[in-house]
This record gives sequence, structure tokens and C-alpha cells, in this order.
Amino acid sequence: MKSAYLLVPFAPLVGAIIAGFFGRSIGRTLTHWVAILGVLISLLASMVVLRDVLAGNVFNGTLYSWSVIGELKFEVGFLIDSLTAMMMVVVTFVSLMVHIYTIGYMADDDGYERFFSYISLFTFSMLMLVMSNNFLQLFFGWEAVGLVSYLLIGFWYTRPTAIYANLKAFLVNRVGDFGFVLGIGLVVAWFGSLDYAEVFKAAPSMQAETITLFGAAEWSLLTVVCICLFIGAMGKSAQFPLHVWLPDSMEGPTPISALIHAATMVTAGIFMVARMSPLFEMSETALSFVLIIGAITAFFMGLLGIIQNDIKRVVAYSTLSQLGYMTVALGASAYSVAVFHLMTHAFFKALLFLGAGSVIIGMHHNQDIRDMGGLRKYMPITWITSLVGSLALVGTPFFSGFYSKESIIEAVHHSDIPGAGIAYAAVLCGVFITAFYAFRMYFLVFHGKERFAQADHAHGHEHADDHHAHVPQESPAVVTIPLIFLAVPSVLVGLVTIGPMLFGDFFKDAIVVDPSHPAMGELAQGWHGWLAMGLHGFLTLPFWLMVAGIVTAWYFYLVNPAIPDRIRGALSGVYRLLDNKYYLDAFNEKFFAGGARLIGTGLWRGGDQSIIDGLINGSARLVGGLSRAFRVLQTGFLNHYAIAMIVGLAVCLVWFIPLLTRR
Amino acid sequence: MEPTSQVMGAGLLSAAIWIPILTGVMLLAVGNDRRADVVRAVALAGSLLGLLVTLPLYLGFDPASDQLQFVEKLPWIERYGISYYLGLDGLSIWLVLLTALITVFVVIAGWRVITERVAQYMAAFLILSGLMVGVFSAMDGLLFYVFFEATLLPMYIIIGVWGGPNRVYAAFKFFLYTLLGSLLTLVALIYLYAQSGSFEIQAWHELPLSMREQTLLFIAFLLAFAVKVPMWPVHTWLPDAHVEAPTGGSVVLAAVMLKLGAYGFLRFSLPIAPDASHELSWLMIALSLIAVIYIGLVALVQTDMKKLVAYSSIAHMGYVILGFFIFNQLGMQGAIVQMISHGFISGAMFLCIGVLYDRMHSRNIEDYGGVVNTMPRFAALFMLFSMANSGLPATSGFVGEFMVILGAVQYNFWIGFAAATTLILGAAYSLWMYKRVVFGEVANPEVAGLKDVDRREFWMLMAMAALVLYMGLYPKPFTDVTDASVEALLQHVSQTKIK
Amino acid sequence: MPPAVLPQAFNLLALLPEIALLLAACIVLLADATTKESAGWQIDRLALGVLLLPLAATLYVAADGHSYSFGDMYVSDLMAHTLKVCAIIATGVVIIYSRQYASDRAIRRGELYSLALFALLGQMVMISGSNLLVLYLGLELMSLSLYAVAALRRDVATSSVAAIKYFVLGALSSGFLLYGMSMVYGATGSLNIPDIVQSIAFGRVSESVLVFGLVFVVAGIAFKFGAVPFHMWIPDVYQGTATVATLLIAAGPKLAAFALAFRLLGEALMTVSGDWHQMLIVLAVLSLGLGNIVAIAQTNLKRMLAYSTISQVGFVLLGMIGAHTGGDAARSADAFGSSMFYAITNVLTTLGTFGLIQLLARKGFEAEEIDDFKGLARRSPWLAGIMMMMMFSLAGLPPLVGFYAKLVVLESVISVGLVWLAVYAVVMSLIGAYYYIRVIKVMYFDEAVDTSPIVVGNDVQATMAVNGLLILLLGIVPGPLVSLCAASVRQALQLG
Repeated sequence: MKSAYLLVPFAPLVGAIIAGFFGRSIGRTLTHWVAILGVLISLLASMVVLRDVLAGNVFNGTLYSWSVIGELKFEVGFLIDSLTAMMMVVVTFVSLMVHIYTIGYMADDDGYERFFSYISLFTFSMLMLVMSNNFLQLFFGWEAVGLVSYLLIGFWYTRPTAIYANLKAFLVNRVGDFGFVLGIGLVVAWFGSLDYAEVFKAAPSMQAETITLFGAAEWSLLTVVCICLFIGAMGKSAQFPLHVWLPDSMEGPTPISALIHAATMVTAGIFMVARMSPLFEMSETALSFVLIIGAITAFFMGLLGIIQNDIKRVVAYSTLSQLGYMTVALGASAYSVAVFHLMTHAFFKALLFLGAGSVIIGMHHNQDIRDMGGLRKYMPITWITSLVGSLALVGTPFFSGFYSKESIIEAVHHSDIPGAGIAYAAVLCGVFITAFYAFRMYFLVFHGKERFAQADHAHGHEHADDHHAHVPQESPAVVTIPLIFLAVPSVLVGLVTIGPMLFGDFFKDAIVVDPSHPAMGELAQGWHGWLAMGLHGFLTLPFWLMVAGIVTAWYFYLVNPAIPDRIRGALSGVYRLLDNKYYLDAFNEKFFAGGARLIGTGLWRGGDQSIIDGLINGSARLVGGLSRAFRVLQTGFLNHYAIAMIVGLAVCLVWFIPLLTRR
Repeated sequence: MEPTSQVMGAGLLSAAIWIPILTGVMLLAVGNDRRADVVRAVALAGSLLGLLVTLPLYLGFDPASDQLQFVEKLPWIERYGISYYLGLDGLSIWLVLLTALITVFVVIAGWRVITERVAQYMAAFLILSGLMVGVFSAMDGLLFYVFFEATLLPMYIIIGVWGGPNRVYAAFKFFLYTLLGSLLTLVALIYLYAQSGSFEIQAWHELPLSMREQTLLFIAFLLAFAVKVPMWPVHTWLPDAHVEAPTGGSVVLAAVMLKLGAYGFLRFSLPIAPDASHELSWLMIALSLIAVIYIGLVALVQTDMKKLVAYSSIAHMGYVILGFFIFNQLGMQGAIVQMISHGFISGAMFLCIGVLYDRMHSRNIEDYGGVVNTMPRFAALFMLFSMANSGLPATSGFVGEFMVILGAVQYNFWIGFAAATTLILGAAYSLWMYKRVVFGEVANPEVAGLKDVDRREFWMLMAMAALVLYMGLYPKPFTDVTDASVEALLQHVSQTKIK
Repeated sequence: MPPAVLPQAFNLLALLPEIALLLAACIVLLADATTKESAGWQIDRLALGVLLLPLAATLYVAADGHSYSFGDMYVSDLMAHTLKVCAIIATGVVIIYSRQYASDRAIRRGELYSLALFALLGQMVMISGSNLLVLYLGLELMSLSLYAVAALRRDVATSSVAAIKYFVLGALSSGFLLYGMSMVYGATGSLNIPDIVQSIAFGRVSESVLVFGLVFVVAGIAFKFGAVPFHMWIPDVYQGTATVATLLIAAGPKLAAFALAFRLLGEALMTVSGDWHQMLIVLAVLSLGLGNIVAIAQTNLKRMLAYSTISQVGFVLLGMIGAHTGGDAARSADAFGSSMFYAITNVLTTLGTFGLIQLLARKGFEAEEIDDFKGLARRSPWLAGIMMMMMFSLAGLPPLVGFYAKLVVLESVISVGLVWLAVYAVVMSLIGAYYYIRVIKVMYFDEAVDTSPIVVGNDVQATMAVNGLLILLLGIVPGPLVSLCAASVRQALQLG
């Protein structure tokens, strides 16, 4: 089994290295085969591992010792349990799909090889992250995926927007890591270890510990630790207010948006918190913090999705909102539910993104949904698969999304963590919003008038050369096959796995839930199998909210397209607020970026150059001045000299004689 | 301390010191520009030989022992009991190897670029290298001081002769600034001699001193070492020196010379005045945190690449000092790792800037843009080093920072908090510069005309990259060697010396 | 105790070096009188050759160690031998350096050399004098010869002016010294230093008279050293006179001055060190401050070096200040030893620097402006390198001898607890570093304006090389000389 563990992360790494260093020389075809092969091996190995884990074998071991400082061991190692195994399969599966898809999507990009090496490298990093058995390696993976994300957002490095977005993404993530590192620091300081197992074992004994941060106020240690760690999660998983980087990250090629900014990397935070459940369970405060943040993200980011016109940005905001859902689940200490939603979301969101990408190909890289419409005729497969994805996203009964989202809503309902009430409201409204923006996009893209014709004239210059441009065609097989492969789990994975994952003992050894937190228990009460749940789904409030959302979208955008504009006119203030993303970007740009530059300049010009160097050069000038002053004493006149000597002598006399005769 | 492994150590350290120096002297004596290539070859040979003799030091080093190793001791100035006393322990060994290694890089870096007074140029660096090895291996206070001071001479010449337009100002600033500190240290050394009747550093470690004495000594040492490190607020010489110095000068300055100061704290301030060190640790921590944040912000707004990297060096060295004065193993080890790693990274950064400067003869960020389009291989390497400079895991830059932050949080949460800001600031100034220089459309015809790195530059940078990655992925070999000595030092510092 | 001294009363052996030198001087004088200027080169050879006589004699005498003669009026001890050898060599080096310079300026070298030798004789008498009058005799012999040397260039006004100043002020200072000596005599009733020591030791002295005299003695010594406020003559004389004269005035006499100071303060008046060390502190502080600060504003190298000398004198005095240890004879001895080391090594750099100025000078051109050294590194890397070492040495940077000189005197000051003084000294020498490295900057960083080739005779080049390398060599192995100085002082104070 060890060999399988090693195979999982390192097969993609090898792929990445080959593609990166020798891609140019071995050519495109060979490059993508190498990369795909690497991920494929990784996927198969992951499946083997999963089966092995289901058989009840949990592994926790060290790969090599990174360093040892006194008592503290820094190690690189694997913890393979159900949570890890599930993540491994999800990551490698989506990654494989994206690899294949890329062949088509990036076909005419001259960064082809580079792109493959990046995504393989990403797969490696992500796997190291999820397979880690200690905080050090977790942080390694954490930053490594951040790096690859940076590289990929800026993949088209000549686009100003892209290189702005990737810097922004990296820095915002660093803000999260800032908290994350402090969390790890506290763990080391108090637990004296970086190893999950040891830390979790010691956690209960630490519950009473308190530390003082501000003045005399005593803080529960674990609360501080968890909040610090969660700040890290907020960065990676784009939780309010650190979400600002994710929409901009859409500057990267679409396959990346699917793999990194929807399916895997952004869920690392969710995974991490679930992994840390033994710690979070010890702190109500932290949980309720998580809950609130999640609720805010779920609701407000959803709202933004409504007004976006860039197809990818719509999906991006939807991702933000869904991540909010997962976070809410975490806050409700329904970790397994969060992870469950993570998985289902990975499939249908990847599907939606790749579908969007397929549309973009069809539209010759025009991403404005207002220029689309009626595409279902031209891109049947894309259409069907996108529909499946959307249905899963909005939570249509029996679709995977339904099971996970429904469970979240129920969990929050039952939770008694402070803030659960608000969160419940937020996620309910979220359902309507989700349905609305999802189908707004769906209708605008695949139904209604075909607007791309006149749009093409607007964008004509882009590809005046080819005349087929006017009519979108279905994308090649390498693009559509992954869509199909993703569509299947988007429908089925939920009903198949909900039983074992939420109510079975799949996560028994990975996720700890404190009995005092009722959510999961209550959920289990109402659990009578997936069929019952699905049927019951038609009677619940969320279902009707969803339907309402879809109908509204249908009415607004197919039946009576004038309404949205009228509403926009009526609520121009609200619209402007949303259009400017609550002015958060502007604020950050002005306050933080601008502020830092301002202070920096001030300290430089004022502190370094004026004050410090002023003193230095000033004292130099002073000495020079003295020098010129004393120089004058040297008159050159003999008599002055003689006088000087005699005076000197006289002074010595009057000074010393009394002083000496005194004795 | 009873010196161990005296037998097998015979002469190795002396060789490491004198081979480069004598090579340099020889070049001075006979070399001239007509036979420049011969001069270069000889210089390279000398530096390689110097590196070669340091390898047995590493291989033969016994990491389990906190004692001096490879000890050499000869009477030098009997009248004052001053001796030519060399030795290595965990605190110094890496610095010695680093020095020897960087010298090789510097010689290679100056290969094509320096075309006049080649002999003097190479000689200056070789002599400098030998002197710095001497600083790190001297176990006699005065011998240390002699080497420490002597390094000023070649550096002054290097900046002044091969420097940029404002080189005279920079050279004088560098010289007088550093001299100011070290002269007071001389007084401190003599005072210690007057008290102990010996110039042996280890004797001073054992010398009991009153709190007042310790404090004054600590301050005297602080002046010298703080200027060298450099610590805020006596750092302003560094940006000027870096900007004006030739590439090789900047590399040596950043990679090794700054360590002279940090090493001084390890060898003098902490063990000789432990009580004062504890008493004044608040000051040291405050200064180093200012270095991290204040300087970080200043680095952010630099328009000159070299100045930017210079400021980032100050910030990184702030980490080293912070690590020393939180008095725990994580901090101390992290600080030492940070020293070595900073040697690699800052060296590599300056080499990269040198590569650009040699082509464009400008260090201004706004003169660049879109370099990646014309120099992809360079861009990749530069990316690695920029990331390392912002402390990305799996690069050496991460190891030290991470350990120091952990140690700092252990010491006090808020100190850790302030220290951790470097995660953001470091990334901000490094990557923002990278973005403006490398990314984007080709900014101007000059950039369009750039040639990618040639073989010499490529392998030079690749070697650096390998070191940076190796140290980041597997720092254990580094920390293992220093472990015993660090533990001994902390042990020593934890005991009071007040009579 | 006259009878006791009779056996060694006329121990002429102790005077052998001086006798030999007198002989040598007379030979040169005669030769000069008999040959004509055209045969100048023979005079050079001759002058150098005859210098071997006193040198040999000194070494010969040195072999049988410590001895008095003329009833304790004249001492020949290790210190005497050391300083004499240095003085002789210094004079020899000056002769080598000045040959070209002097002939370019139509200075009668015969005169020059004989005067130099008589000055040397005076120095040697001072060095060995163990009696106030003998010391004074030596002093006057030296001074008068140097006054004449200073005036050698009758054609140049500044030179004559400088000579006058030198003469008048010198006379004044001699007056001080003589007056002080008479006071000491009055107080102790003896001129022989050993007897003075005795009588003070037995307290048969009137304290106030003694100290009154002491003040004058110190003033006299301070003048010879050129310590502030008795320094006024130094800049004008150094700059004004021909460089060869500057060399003669700046090099050897400093050694003699040290001997004078040591014999008077270190031996005769050691017991009242509590009194004179305070005066020395004042002098040292003033010299260090003024010398270093004013030197910065100078553009004329000779004048700058003059001020630099003033500051160096401050360091020499520091060493003596350290001798006031409150009775610890051994440490006092070491303190004087450090001061002696400083004096000797300082002569070395003085020779080198002024020698270089002479070398760069040509017919009708004095290379005494700092700017005359622009780009020297390109014109003659070799000379520039030596000058650089001189400057770094003066600035007190290792591994050059100047550093150890500062080290030892600082050690002596700190060991008597005057840390503040040491700190003051190093701060001042930091200021000093500025103008020293400025010279290096001019030589190395600036482009040459005057690119005329530098023609230097091989022997001169070789001497200069040795001179420069000594500064480096003594910097790498200073041990022996340090020990020698310490030993000679200890022996002079009969500490073994």
C-alpha cells in the first residue's frame, strides 16, 4: 500500500517535471500524454487506496524528517484515512478530466506545455496538502497550491488584468496564511508538536487553557488557535472578507477555474477545518465565528452572482456562495456534511465551469452572456451537461447537490451554535438566489434569441479571417467527454454516498463531533434513506424557494426581458452597490495597498532620508564646520604662536599649582 | 572547552583563510589587464581551491559535539597573550562554507563584466573572502577584530573603484559608518582584556561581569554589530552601498558581510553579556521588528531594484536578530538557518539584477517590463528567487522565517504577530517588483532586444536555485550541524554571570 | 656618591656610537669642503656609508647591555640602543629619499647631510642622556642643526619664514625646559636622574617647587612633540620648509623627544606622575581633537600630515598617561613601552608619507597638494599601494602596524581606568579616518590629471618598498617589536 501512497502524489509531479523542463523538446502530444498518464496513475492509485481505507486500514506515517529542533520534530508524512482518501479521489478525478479537457481548450495556445506542467504540479501540491499528517506539510501544500494558482491566474502574463489578478490573489492568500501561521505557532507553543495525532490527542486537556491577548482579557487558547487557523481557511476558501481575489482569478484559463478555483484548491480551507474538527469542537466561539462568516459569504456573494454578465464570473460568485454553504456546515459542526457538499460541489461546479469553457470556445472567447442565447441547438452536449450541472447546483431532488445542500440547511436548522438562526435565514435565501442566478445564466446562454450574430459584428475584428465564426459549433470530443464524465457523478454521487458519508461510519476515524452539538444527531433522526429524502425533498421550503427562483429567472429573461432593466432602474442604488462588489475592492485598493505605499514613502523619505541620513550627513558637516573654524587659529603670525604657548603654560600653572600645593 | 579533533584539523582553517588571500596578493603583484583571461582563471582556481579545502571541514565536523573543532593555536603577540587561535563550531561552520562558496560565484559573476583592473578586482574579492573566513573562525578576540576590520579595506576599494556614479559617497558612508561601530568595540575588547588578562573569547565567556559592565559592553558590541547587520536605525549605509557597488560587491555584501554582524552577536554579545542580553532583549526585539515592518514598507516603494533588495535584506536580517533574542531553540536555529538561506537568496537576487543590469545598464524598475517575453529562462529562475525571497515553503527562505515565527509566538503572541507580517510584506515587495519587471507586454525596444541568460549565467543561477531548493526541502543537514552548539549557547546564556 | 662611580667614570665604551657618529659627521663635512657639488653622488654614498659606523658601534655596544658612564650622566641601555638604531636608520632613509629632491633644488647636499648627521648626534645624546644638562645639550645640538636645515632653501621665502618661526619658538620652548630643569634641580639638589629619583623617594624635596618646574618641563617636552597648545610651529614648518627638511624634523626628533619625555617623566619624575599625567591628559585631549578636526579642512598634503602628526602625538601621550598606575611599576613600564612602540612605528609612516611626497616631486614642482595624487593608482600602482597602506596604517586599521600602535596605547589607558579617554580617542580617530581615506579616494577613485611618468631610482624604489612592506609586516607580526619596546622600558627602570 505504501507504494500506492507514494504513487498518488509523485506520479503527477514527475509529469509536471517532464512537461516543464522537456515539454518544448518532446512536443505537445507527448507532453500532454505524459501529464495525463501521471494523473491517471494517480487516480487509479487513489481508488485502490480508497478501497483499502474502506476495508478499514488507516495509515499514519512519516515519509522523511524535515528537521528536528530540540524536542520539536518537523516531518513530511502521510495520514491516509477516509477523509484523505475521498479527497484524493475527488482531486485526481477532476484533475484528470481537466487534463483531458485542456487538450481541446488550450489547443492553439503556445503556452501549452507550460500549462500542463502547471496543472500537474498543482495536482501534486493539492495531494500533498490533503495527504499530510502534520501542520508543516499542510502549510507546504497550502502555499504550494497558492503558488501554482498564482502562476496560472497569471498564465497569460502579458494581460495587465491577469498579472494584477494573480498578484492580488497571492497577497490576499498571504493575509490568510498570516493567520494560519500564527495558529500553527500557537499549536507548537502549547502542544509542542506539529503532528495531527498528537495535537488532537492533547486537545481535550487544553480546553481549560487561556491566554491573554488584549490587556487582562482571558481568551480560551483553543478559540484563538481555531480562529487563527480559520483565517487561513478564509484566505484559501475565499470567505468574506478575503474573498476578493476569487472573482478576479477568472483571468486564468477556464480549465484552471474549474480545477483550482472551483473544485479543489478553494475547498482546501473546508477540508482543513474538517480535518481540525477535534480542535474546533472544543470551541463554541470559533464555531460560531465560522458560522457567521460562512453565512455572510453564502448570502452576499450569491447576490453578486445575479448581476454578473461574464459567464465565468457568474459561476465564480456561485462558487463563493457555495463555499459559504460549506463553511456554514462546518460552523454547525456538521463537518461531514460540509465535506459531502465539497465533494458534490467539486463535480457539478467543475462541470459548470468546463461547460462554460465549452461555450466560450463556441463563442470564440467571448464571455458575455448577453451576446449568447439559443446555443442549445448548436452545442447539444454542452447544453445538456450544463443543465445537469445547474440542476445539481440549485439542489433539485435526487441530484447530488440536493442531498448535500439539503443536509446543510437541515444541519444549520438543528444547530444551536450562536448565530445559527441568521445562518439558517441566509442559507434559505441563498437557495432562491442560487436558483435565480444559475438559471438566469442558463436561459440567457442556451435559450431565447440568438444574440451572437450581431454580437459577432461588434467583435468582428477579433476573427475577421474565419467566416464560420458566426455560428457556434459543438466543441471537440476532448472537451465534451469530460463534461459527460462529470455529469454522471453530478447526478448520482449524492444519492449513492450520502448514506455512508453522513450517517454511516465512513468518517468515524477522521471527523470528531462533540455530543453536545446536536446537528448531526438530529439529522440522523430524520434519515430514512436517500429515496425517502429525495421524495420528501419536494415538500420542503427550500424546494419551493428553488422553484420560485427558477420561475423568476425564466420570466425575467425569457418571457419579459424588460423587467430586469426596470428593476435596475428602480433600485439603482442597490445595483450600484452590487456592481461595485460592495466597494470592497475599491476600499482595499485605496486603504491597504494605497496606505502601505503611502506609509512606505513617508518612512523612506521622512525617516530614512530626512531624519537618519540627515543626522549622519549633518554631523559630518558639523565636523567640517568646526574644522574650518579652528583653522582660523593658525594665523601664521609668530607672535600669536608664542603667545599661545605662553598662555598655555600659564594656564597649566594656574591650574595645577594650587591643585598641587593643596596636598 | 577542550578543543577536539586537533589532529585532523591541522591547517585546514588556515588554508581556507590564506589560500584566497595569497592568491589575491599574487594577482595584485603580477596580474594586469593584458592577461585578463589568465587572471580570471587564476582567480577562479584560487576560489575553487578555497572552497575545496572547506569541504573536509564539513565532512570531518562532528555535529554531536558543541566543542571547538579544527583548532589551531599559535602564539602571536605574546606580550598581550594574543594568539593566532582558530576553531570552528556549529555556529560558524556554515558561514565559513557559505563564504567560500559565494566567492566562487562572485568570481564567475565578474567574469565578462569586469574588463579593467581585473587583477585588482579579483584580488580584492579573494582577499576579502579570506578575511571573512578568518572572522568566522577566529577564537581570539583581537584576531577576530583584525579580520573584522580588515574587511573594510577591500570593500571600500571595491565600491569606490568599480562602483556606480555616486560611488564615492557610498564608499565613504560605508567605511565611516562601520568604522564608528567597530572602534568602540575595540575599546570593549581591550576592556575585557584588562578585566580577564586574556584575549581568548572563551575566557571572556566565563568571565564574571557586573550588570553595569555587561550593559556597557553589550552596547559597545551592539554599535559595531548593529551597523554591520544592519539594524534600524543604523542601516542607511546599506542601500547606498548596494546601489553603487558592482554586482559582485553587492553579492558579497548581502550574502556574507552582513553575517559578520549577526555572527558577532552569537560570539560576543550573547555569551559575554548574557544578563545584559536578557535585560535589553526588549530593545533588540523592538529594533528587529521595526526592521521587519518599517523596512518592509520602505522596500515596497523603492523604484531601484537594488535598493529594493537591499531593504529586503535589512528586513530579513531583522529576522535573524529577532531569532537570537527570543532565547529559544526554534528562534536561534531559525536565525542561523535564515543567515545561510539569506546568503543564497540575496546573493541570487543580486546576481539576477546584475544579469539585467549588464544588459540594460539600468536598475530602475520602470525601465523594465515584459522581460519574460525575451528572457523566459531568466524569468523562471528570477521567479524562483523572488518567491524564495518572500519565504515560500520548499525554498530556503521559508525555513528560517517559519522557525523564527514559531519561536516568536512561543515567546509572545504579539511579537510573533508582528513578525509574521513579513508573509504579506515580503510577498508584496518581492512579487510586485517581479510583476513590474518581468510580466506584462514588452515595455520598450531595449527590453525587446534583450538576450536570454548565456550558459555561464544560467548555470550560475541554476546552482543557486539548487541550493535554495535543497535547503528548503531538506534543511535537516543544516540544522543538525548547528544543533549542539546552539543548545550549548542557550544553556550558557541562561546562566547569570553577575558576581 | 662620587667615589662609587669612579670605576666606570670614564667608561668611554658607552659613548662609542656617539663618537663614531661625530667622526662620521666630520668626514662628511671635510668631504663636502673638499669636493665640488658636481661630485654629489659621491657625497650621497659617503653619507650613507659613514652612517654604518655609528650603527655598527651601537650594535656592538648593545651586546654588553646596560651601563652608565660619566658618573651616571650618561646611560647606555636597551632603550637607548633601540631608539638610536631607529634614529640612525631613519636618517639614512631620509638621505636616500632626498638625494634626487635635493639635487633638483640645488640644495648643497654636503651641508644637508652633515647637518643631518649633527642633528642625529643630538638625538643620540638626548636618547642616552641621564642627566638634565646632558639632555639639554643634546636637545640644543639637535635643534640648532634642524633650524639650519629648515633654512636650507634660502631662495624660497616660505622656507626662511618657517625656519624663523621654528627657531624663535624652539628657543622659547628650550627656555621653558631649561627653566623647568633648574627648578627640578632646585627642588632635588641634583641633575643626575638617578639621584633625583633617590632624593624624591626620600622626600627631601619641596613639592611645590618641584611641580612648578614640572609644568615647565612638560611644556618643553610638549613643544618638541608638537602637542597642543605648543603645536603652532608644526603646520607652518612642515609645510613651509623643503620636504627634505620636513622629513628630518618629523622623523628622528620624535624618537628623541620620546626619550627626553621618558628620561624626565618616566625615570626622574615618575613619583610625581600623579601631577604630570593630568597635564598630559589635557595636552592629549587637545591634540587629538584639534589635530584630527583641523586636518579635515586641509588641501595641502604636507599640512594635513602636520595636523595628523599632532593627533598622533596625542596617542603617544596617551601611552604615557597610562603610566600613572599608582605604584605598579611594571604596568607603568608597559605603558611607556606602548608609547615607545607608537613613536617608533609613527616614524616609519612619517618617513614613508613624506618620502613619497618627495619622490613625486620634480624639478620646479612640489607634489604636496592632495590633488597632485589624483589617479596615482593608475600612474604607479606600486607607489599608490604603499601610500594606501600608510594611510590605512595612520587611520589605525588592521592588519597594518598603526592599528597595533593604537591598540597598545589604548590598552594602557584603559588599564588605568580612563575608558572615557579611550572612547574619546577612538571617536577622534574616526574623524581622522575621514581625511586619510580621502587621500586613498584621490589616488584610486579619481582620474589622473598629471600623467607625466614617475621616475624613481631603483635604490629609492627598493627602500620605499621595504618601508611600505614593513608597515604591513609589522602589522602581521607585531609581537617582537612590541616585546622589544616593553623590554627596553622595563630594563631602563631596572625591572628586568
